[in-house]
Amino acid sequence: MKTVVIDPITRLEGHGKISIFLDASGDVENAYLQIPELRGFERFSQGRRAEDMPQITSRICGVCPVAHHFAATKALDNAFHVEPPPAAKKLRELLYCGYLIYDHILHFYFLGGPDFVVGPDAPASKRNVLGVIEKAGLDVGKEVIKHRAYGQKITAILGGKATHPVCGLPGGVSKGLSKEEVHEIKEMISSCNDFAKFTLKLFDDIVLKNKKYVDLIRSDAYTLKTYNMGLVDNKNKVNFYDGKIRVTDQDGSEVLKFDGADYAKHIGEHVEEWSYMKFPYLKNIGWHGLVDGKKSGIYRVGPLGRLNASDGMATPLAEKEYKRMFETLGGKPVNSTLAYHWARLIELLYATERAKELVEDHEITSTHIKNPVGSPGEGVGVVEAARGTLIHHYKLDKNGLVEKANLIVATTNNAGAITMSVRDAAKGVIKKGKVDDGILNMVEMAFRAYDPCFGCATHTLPGGMPLEVNIYDNNRRLYKTLKQNV
Amino acid sequence: MRIMKTIVLGVGNRILGDDGVGVHVANELRNHVKNTNVVIDEATTGGMNLLDLIIGYDKAIIIDAVKTEYGRNGDVKRIPLTEFSTMHSCNPHDVSLTEAIEMAKRMGEDRIPGEIVVIGVLMKETPREFKEVLSSKIAAAVPRAVELVLNEIKGVDE
Repeated sequence: MKTVVIDPITRLEGHGKISIFLDASGDVENAYLQIPELRGFERFSQGRRAEDMPQITSRICGVCPVAHHFAATKALDNAFHVEPPPAAKKLRELLYCGYLIYDHILHFYFLGGPDFVVGPDAPASKRNVLGVIEKAGLDVGKEVIKHRAYGQKITAILGGKATHPVCGLPGGVSKGLSKEEVHEIKEMISSCNDFAKFTLKLFDDIVLKNKKYVDLIRSDAYTLKTYNMGLVDNKNKVNFYDGKIRVTDQDGSEVLKFDGADYAKHIGEHVEEWSYMKFPYLKNIGWHGLVDGKKSGIYRVGPLGRLNASDGMATPLAEKEYKRMFETLGGKPVNSTLAYHWARLIELLYATERAKELVEDHEITSTHIKNPVGSPGEGVGVVEAARGTLIHHYKLDKNGLVEKANLIVATTNNAGAITMSVRDAAKGVIKKGKVDDGILNMVEMAFRAYDPCFGCATHTLPGGMPLEVNIYDNNRRLYKTLKQNV
Repeated sequence: MRIMKTIVLGVGNRILGDDGVGVHVANELRNHVKNTNVVIDEATTGGMNLLDLIIGYDKAIIIDAVKTEYGRNGDVKRIPLTEFSTMHSCNPHDVSLTEAIEMAKRMGEDRIPGEIVVIGVLMKETPREFKEVLSSKIAAAVPRAVELVLNEIKGVDE
């Protein structure tokens, strides 16, 4: 048999491994993405002080420390039976907007963007942020750096520390905002808002006005008809920080809406022997294998999942863009995996608009930012990480020590969908055993759109965590191994 | 003589076993270094965030786990940054430090340290399991890594 192995995926150096199985004629029979997960977190957490969890969990993942910090903090609000004061919630959400701003900017310009701005079939050496700058211009590069740094600065002002915030406490936050800080944040947000608009225009000019790209976005190889999931507010608008979990079906109709606390009633986790990763699915639909459609309980989270699972955006400009995306791509839901990139930019715009509302709120400088905690118990906290729904669940003993911890992270929620997207893209582009760098990039694009994080907690030099692609022939013999950038 | 403002960064994740060796070395260094022109810090991050931390210094010394098939577990090597042909943040959502530096240079950033040195603790595999302690071989490498860093900062005026 022929097997293709893609080794390091250039801009996604997780420790993933793609195995592609070819049939006798050299076409793709099946493909799997394997992601070795970090182990032992539950055991690691046992017996720790509950208040330490927001700091500890922010180190689980080098990609979303802010999301883990607040999922943990919210789980502790519930476990200690305390409702944070309104100002504390607003401060947390404002910080969260800063995180979404830098995270989404980074993805578009550094990771996903090169595929479109430079081109999916450009040489690998050009498909990076330097290639983007070469094409879009040095001035754009400067703006990218500036606004990514603004997002970081906003989180540092509110969080007390860059990258890993230390402000979240059960019942509130440890730090408020001074008038000077409000002024500084306002100026940065206003600039980020202009930059978000500019980025959407760039996407329009480079991607949407190029028929080849639009055809690629709408092509079958990049289409997946799953359920969609995301947090929504009381008007069913997208919300990153709070709300209920809503699930919509392949027609865009609501099938579930529940409190985070009830996640275990609705989300099951399927185990496959070839992967460390669990595959979450909707319990009421059931697990029916790695297939899409109404009969399969697989769902998608992240920017496109959120936009599909909601009825709109809560801010005016983002709402306008939301409508435009669905009109352009043929109505709701949009099932094109590559539309994640567009959805991400709409969320970037929303984050800047929402941050502006929050920082202009008179309550944001209130000093009532923490309420006293009650007795320890059990609690679930849910937020929307940049890459999708993130769930933390803790059970505390009577002394406030962690007895049990369970986490479902965003990339795990997307595990089934990512695996299918990789398989379908491979089927679409690998024919008669012909595989080269350009073709592999088309496979990579399928999962880069999800902006997955591979449970890699930090950074190790030189970072030899390649994604290997092994291609096997129809006798399951290794046919080819592809490695880039090893 | 111009003062060499130097930053020593222990990179890694202290809740991920041997991956956190850089942080352990940085903590040990705090007991040895009193020079006010040398800043010692830790970072659980890579790429762009790491660049943010070293900008503005004349010299940066990065202590990190280096995964390699060559050398023995616990060997400590001084590696100039320029010798890394590839250096990824293993975080899939970021660029490598070398890419971040290259990008910043093209943007006209002139505050990048003139010298960037990596003190690498070699290991065949990086850990997959959460724990706070180092394995015995990697723990034994800490004094050697401390010594190499002290060598690097010897010439820095106080």
